[in-house]
Amino acid sequence: MSSILIQNALIAGETTPVDLLIEDGIIVRKALAGSIDTSSVDQVTDANDKIILPGLFDLHAHVCQPGYEARERIATASAAALHGGITGLMAMPDTNPVLDNAAQISTFNELCRHDSIVEIIPTGCLTKGCMGEEQASYDSMRAKGVRIITDGDKTPENMLLLYRAMQYTSSLGMIFGLRGDVPSLTAKSLMHPSTTSYQLGLSGSPACAEEIGTETIIRLSQETGNALHVQTVSTGGSVEILRRFKNESSGLSSEVALHHLIFTHENVGQYDTNFKTLPPLRDTSDNEALIAGVNDGTIDCIVSDHTPCTPFSKKQDFLDAPHGMTGLDTFLPVIYHYLVKPAKMTWETVVKSCSSNPRRLLGLQPISFEVGSVANFVVFDPNGESKVSNDFLRSRSKNTPFLGATLDGKVDVVCFSGQLHSF
Amino acid sequence: MNPRKDLLNIASLTDEEIHTLLESAAPMKELFTKSVKKVPALKGKSVLTLFYEPSTRTRSSFEVAAERLSADVTNFTVSTSSVVKGESVHDTIDTLQAMKVDYIIVRHYHSGLPDVIARHTKASVINAGDGAHAHPTQALLDSFTIKEVYPDTRGKRVLIVGDILHSRVARSTSMLMKRLGMEVAYLGPGSLVPKTQYTGIPCFSDFNEAFAWKPDVIYLLRVQKERQDAPFFPSSREYHKIYGVTEERLERISGEGMYIMHPGPVNRGVEICDLAMDYERCLINTQVENGIACRMSVLYHLTPKTQH
Repeated sequence: MSSILIQNALIAGETTPVDLLIEDGIIVRKALAGSIDTSSVDQVTDANDKIILPGLFDLHAHVCQPGYEARERIATASAAALHGGITGLMAMPDTNPVLDNAAQISTFNELCRHDSIVEIIPTGCLTKGCMGEEQASYDSMRAKGVRIITDGDKTPENMLLLYRAMQYTSSLGMIFGLRGDVPSLTAKSLMHPSTTSYQLGLSGSPACAEEIGTETIIRLSQETGNALHVQTVSTGGSVEILRRFKNESSGLSSEVALHHLIFTHENVGQYDTNFKTLPPLRDTSDNEALIAGVNDGTIDCIVSDHTPCTPFSKKQDFLDAPHGMTGLDTFLPVIYHYLVKPAKMTWETVVKSCSSNPRRLLGLQPISFEVGSVANFVVFDPNGESKVSNDFLRSRSKNTPFLGATLDGKVDVVCFSGQLHSF
Repeated sequence: MNPRKDLLNIASLTDEEIHTLLESAAPMKELFTKSVKKVPALKGKSVLTLFYEPSTRTRSSFEVAAERLSADVTNFTVSTSSVVKGESVHDTIDTLQAMKVDYIIVRHYHSGLPDVIARHTKASVINAGDGAHAHPTQALLDSFTIKEVYPDTRGKRVLIVGDILHSRVARSTSMLMKRLGMEVAYLGPGSLVPKTQYTGIPCFSDFNEAFAWKPDVIYLLRVQKERQDAPFFPSSREYHKIYGVTEERLERISGEGMYIMHPGPVNRGVEICDLAMDYERCLINTQVENGIACRMSVLYHLTPKTQH
């Protein structure tokens, strides 16, 4: 029996601080601040001047294990997630071998059961081997807990295959996770067409390719009656399209990667490969449209799109270097530093887009602070700071543009699965 | 000029550096008229050319420039088949670092690759063209050539014609020309000219519009016929008809005394008709000569970190 007391806990969205008493991972008392006696409690944490958020859920992370352990492992990814205020994440299927059948999903779940300190839910491949040619075995993966089918970063080129896969799964109650793209338009592109792409002589990925692709997959999902989750939306035009379809399409949801809310093509500077992302970083106007989209509920979720890369691979030139940046370790501090502190987003919206919405999509229980609920929350200190150094990062890869930066705010404590993790 | 290790692009040069590099190209050029064309400035230094893209002109131009400064020149032959992965570039950098060469002249089909080499070696790295990014020595020789005919370059108008999208020459030379007070405009097929909002350079839709702008120099870019994916224009014939210097256009060009420039090698009958190659104000051969002088100036002014 271990008991934890959180004193003076101001829960995001509420106005009066409370004391929370947790026993064996369950909230057993919730009372006015200062009213719970500390004498018989094992661990006491004072959350005065801090904010309590439900544990965040990240719908888009690449954990790289099995197969790419040089980049990341389940243990390091989950430690990084917890460090960034995330207590649950959905893993992309682009491991090696890929997660395209029930046996692979079972192996992956087993690895997670051993190594992970957060909840990890696997996605399953849309096509065998992520090759875009044959349907993967959806129903058997569903039996192992898969809710979202996706080929990770790849958008299938074959629309007929996608159409039939959607028709086939329409009765299985699964969600298709797809990124809006027209692969033939973006195959050789490296960044957003812009002043930067012109100066650096890098070919541009037109925004219209994402927008045409987004509209196409929405129309296909409407036609087949399938639920669709649009992944890593990056342009203002895509937000417009989602807004237009949102009301008429009940199974439609979407996500944006955190870096697309705060960075632009200008961050690429003189070929900084840490800012090479898929889709590419776009314009300030896109940042604003995407933030507005999250705020008005057009975009349901903010994700990390955590993509670990080895130091060597990122040292190559911009064409050869892989895309992606890590994002788990810094997730909540970055949200606070760039969005909440400058009043671009409220804590309520953060809770909605980083916890309740992703959990609802996956059919998970919402996180509650009422007595009898499982304790799953983050104590965040807005007055603290996060110095992002090599030691700070729990992720095995360090390809984050924040390395060396100091972010406002700090994840102090995460309470998950009956344990209190202090940072 | 403060010690500078590398020349990777025009953007990183200060006005003073541009001035120095152009100024000292003139005495270098004078050397060519002497019976002994060599000076001992780089005696004992080693220059290595590392070309991942086939090139005869630029490579020889650098070789001649280095030899006239008495440096030892080595060609590092890169077999294109073994260079499919970025890893081998890194391995090559390590090899070069171990060879203790002082100057590396690099050409690569990837934009930004010379930056990577420069970061990982003590030798001075000179970008001899990378992807669609930069070709700084070409820009210097172009502006040097224009300065020879127009000592005061301010307000002079240069029309750059052709494939701007893939052209490192267009990017570097237009940037330097603008910094020297020239006005630059682009002309080319819509599929090969990036939007003005990205380039900051006005763009004409045809030669009539461009002629009305009264350019002083018509700068033609080489048409890359060897693009493998979807074509950017229907045929060389159509290109020549709309964007080439045809005999009719040559009449107008010569009537108004405009100069013609081209970075070479020329596709006769595509960018330019035969007659225009012999036009008295065609500066193409002067550019080649000035290229050696400007590259000597660059080699002379860079300071490798291998020396101290």
